[in-house]
Amino acid sequence: MLPRITAWWTILRISLQERLVYRGDFALGTLMRFLPIVTQIFLWFAIFANLGTGARITNYTYEELVVYLLLTMVARAFSSMPGLASTIARQIRTGDIKKYLTQPVDLLGFMFLSRMAHKLAYYIVAIGPFALVFFLCRGYFIHLPDAPQAAAFAASLILSFLLGFYLEACIGMVGFWFLEVTSLLFVYMLFSFFLSGHMFPLDMLPQPFGTIVQFTPLQYLAFFPAQVFLGKVQGWDLAMGLLIELEWVVLFMLLSRVLFLRGLKRYSGYGG
Amino acid sequence: MRKSQIRNPKHRTENCPLSPRLNYFRIFLTFARNSIVRDMTFRANFLIDCLSTITWSLMDLGFYIFVVFRQTSQIGRDTGWGEWEFYTFLATTKLINGLVQAFFMPNCEEVSELVRSGNFDFALLKPIDTQFLVSLRKIDWPALSHIGVGGILLSISLWHITQREIDPAQLTLLTGVAYIFYILCGVAILYSLMISLAATSIWLGRNESLYDFWFYITNFSRYPMEIYSGDVGTPLRWICTFIIPVLIVVNVPARILAQPLAAETPEARFLLFFTPAAAVACLAISRWVFYRALRSYRSASS
Amino acid sequence: MPVIEIENLSKSYRVYQKQEGLLASVTGLFRREHKDVHAVREVNLTVEKGEFVAFLGPNGAGKTTTLKLLSGIIYPSGGTARVMGHVPWEREIAYRRRFALVMGQKNQLWWDLPALESFRLHQQIYRIEPQQYQETLDELSELLDIGRLLRQPVRDLSLGERMKMELAAALLHSPDVLFLDEPTIGLDVVAQHRIQQFLKKYQAQRQVTILLSSHYMKDVAALCQRVVIITHGEIKFDGSLSGIVDRFSGQKLITLQLAGDETPKNLARFGQVIEEQLPKVKLRIDKANVPAALTEILAQHTVEDIVVEDPPLEEVIADLFSQVQTPVAT
Repeated sequence: MLPRITAWWTILRISLQERLVYRGDFALGTLMRFLPIVTQIFLWFAIFANLGTGARITNYTYEELVVYLLLTMVARAFSSMPGLASTIARQIRTGDIKKYLTQPVDLLGFMFLSRMAHKLAYYIVAIGPFALVFFLCRGYFIHLPDAPQAAAFAASLILSFLLGFYLEACIGMVGFWFLEVTSLLFVYMLFSFFLSGHMFPLDMLPQPFGTIVQFTPLQYLAFFPAQVFLGKVQGWDLAMGLLIELEWVVLFMLLSRVLFLRGLKRYSGYGG
Repeated sequence: MRKSQIRNPKHRTENCPLSPRLNYFRIFLTFARNSIVRDMTFRANFLIDCLSTITWSLMDLGFYIFVVFRQTSQIGRDTGWGEWEFYTFLATTKLINGLVQAFFMPNCEEVSELVRSGNFDFALLKPIDTQFLVSLRKIDWPALSHIGVGGILLSISLWHITQREIDPAQLTLLTGVAYIFYILCGVAILYSLMISLAATSIWLGRNESLYDFWFYITNFSRYPMEIYSGDVGTPLRWICTFIIPVLIVVNVPARILAQPLAAETPEARFLLFFTPAAAVACLAISRWVFYRALRSYRSASS
Repeated sequence: MPVIEIENLSKSYRVYQKQEGLLASVTGLFRREHKDVHAVREVNLTVEKGEFVAFLGPNGAGKTTTLKLLSGIIYPSGGTARVMGHVPWEREIAYRRRFALVMGQKNQLWWDLPALESFRLHQQIYRIEPQQYQETLDELSELLDIGRLLRQPVRDLSLGERMKMELAAALLHSPDVLFLDEPTIGLDVVAQHRIQQFLKKYQAQRQVTILLSSHYMKDVAALCQRVVIITHGEIKFDGSLSGIVDRFSGQKLITLQLAGDETPKNLARFGQVIEEQLPKVKLRIDKANVPAALTEILAQHTVEDIVVEDPPLEEVIADLFSQVQTPVAT
């Protein structure tokens, strides 16, 4: 356990330093990530303008929609895993993954810890730009969540991090069977972009799409946490939602483990 | 050894049969040919790339069909950007993006990699214009499926806006020519922006976020400019029209066909003159930036 | 008139220092430490038409930087250079048509296509007439023995074969001046030898001017009449290969063949005993001491044979490089 903590601390320190060394790059990069939201907000403003004052679209007021879009940014900061699947796939392709056969290091464990360190470093630095944007948009936050709701929001974010991690890890593991996973990854990105609720609240979709997206794990990457914050899911539904999210996490956690072990077996079967 | 063959020709250039411009065109064709030969060796990838491009377009379209226009009849109040007008706009976006992504995107993206590995050296050695060589080395053929999608969408939308009973749009040959002209202006503006961004990677030595930056900036061009109004919107519209002219890229050609209400305003007429000027200015500035950046190239040794 | 004239050519880079530690990274947001690295300092060199000149020096000595400056890839910080009357970094198209740079560590051919496709592209870019192109290609593929490889994708070629293709690509337009940067790096001995043979033949036939940088002595010994030694961006020596030994080695090697029952008597006092396999003894002695030492040795021993020679070139150069390399670590 102790060496693991030291390793983790080292990764954390290095990634934090990295973030700080490429200074302009990073601060600017984080702020720029909000630019698409700005366009989206203007688009929705134009749509609401046509509907007249006080209009609602599927239970969303204009203010709620703005908050929703901002919150998906927070959720994506937890659930998106840039480069995770492609790194795993590359390690499989180059054979680097073999070192996990001989060394007492667990690939998934190691990747998880380093990803956590990267994320933590990211939050420490990105909190500035995020705070700035939220401060500028403070007028839109009409209702703030109460303590239990805030706790549920935090839980949903942590679960979305886990879900994002194991989902992408599974896709990376597919590289054991197909050497080229870039296309698969693109398809995943495509679906997660639209079906995580990153673009618009998923409950705006007409039937049957509205029901279909309820059954995918992707909604927990952005839509669900934002719903929790806005108080759109409460009580029993909220508990159920968190439970289902947890189930998805466990499922993909086990799946990634199974894929990894099977993949390694297949790999060593080739004899190198 | 066949000594007779060994000559050291001196004045090769004088009796070269092709004029320089024609030669550049021939080189471009070779680039295009080599790209397609290469793509055909990885046929499965080629197909998947085409398919994912089309899927992406369809999902994007789905957002407007199933979400936006289920709620509203037009984008913005009294703008004239109804459903089919907006799909004309969207199709124009696809056409322009398709052209940029097919011809310039793979090359500009590769610049930072070339700089990092030091292989940019080779581009500098060749006796042709370096910017030409760097900008058009490869062609991303699958990206042309954007143009396919855009073309289909445009045809359907145009049919709707010209055939409807109330206030059908009048399109003439001149509108068609003007449309193509302004599309090319738009492509020129986007290309200039892109090659300037790529040139910064020569300066900085790294630029992983080029694509991101590109995406964020061009994001403003995706909607009719009328939506940018109010205290924040109006200055934003000015900045994105006159400083980084991404807003006029799609808006100006799309207005010619879709003819929303704003198409008749003096401002819109002004933009018709401003756009070609902006395109020329952008090309000139980007060329200056590119050649300026070459001076600080460091040439990494691998 | 010389083909290459270089006067006081200098190139320095500004390198930003990465700070150790977290706090330093934070302060680095506002102020960054930097230092200037002088890759080439005040280099002067003149090369005549048809010369085959070697740049010799340890890694990072400035050989490659000099070649890149002469190719116009990078801008100098000071000084002037003219190659065939052109200032390289003005990058005139006419100049770019007349020289070639081959880099052993980089490749320019399309990876997934046969080399022939890349060659055709070169034909168009350099505007080589079809007949001229075919003749040159035939000649090169015969000299390099690559005819059967032209239609294979470059990615399927071995490192040595790829290097040959790179050379062919660079020579298609029959350059008058050729810059070769470590052309044999990473190749096995056989492939190295083949490239050397090719260069020798090619240069002899075409009388092109060649500048070759290498840290393999074998390349240099096989090809070049003139050697320029560069360390720390400065020219330390410019002359013939044999001149290096005269200039940089202060020692001689003496081999003694002692008579059958003779035992050496404290030979270490004259210099360093390298080898002692009786009746043969090998000594390294300072040049100045050679006459005195020989007199004394001959007086005390019965000697059957005696050989006095220069130390091997590789050794001298290795010594030279290691001497100058010490102050680098700052």
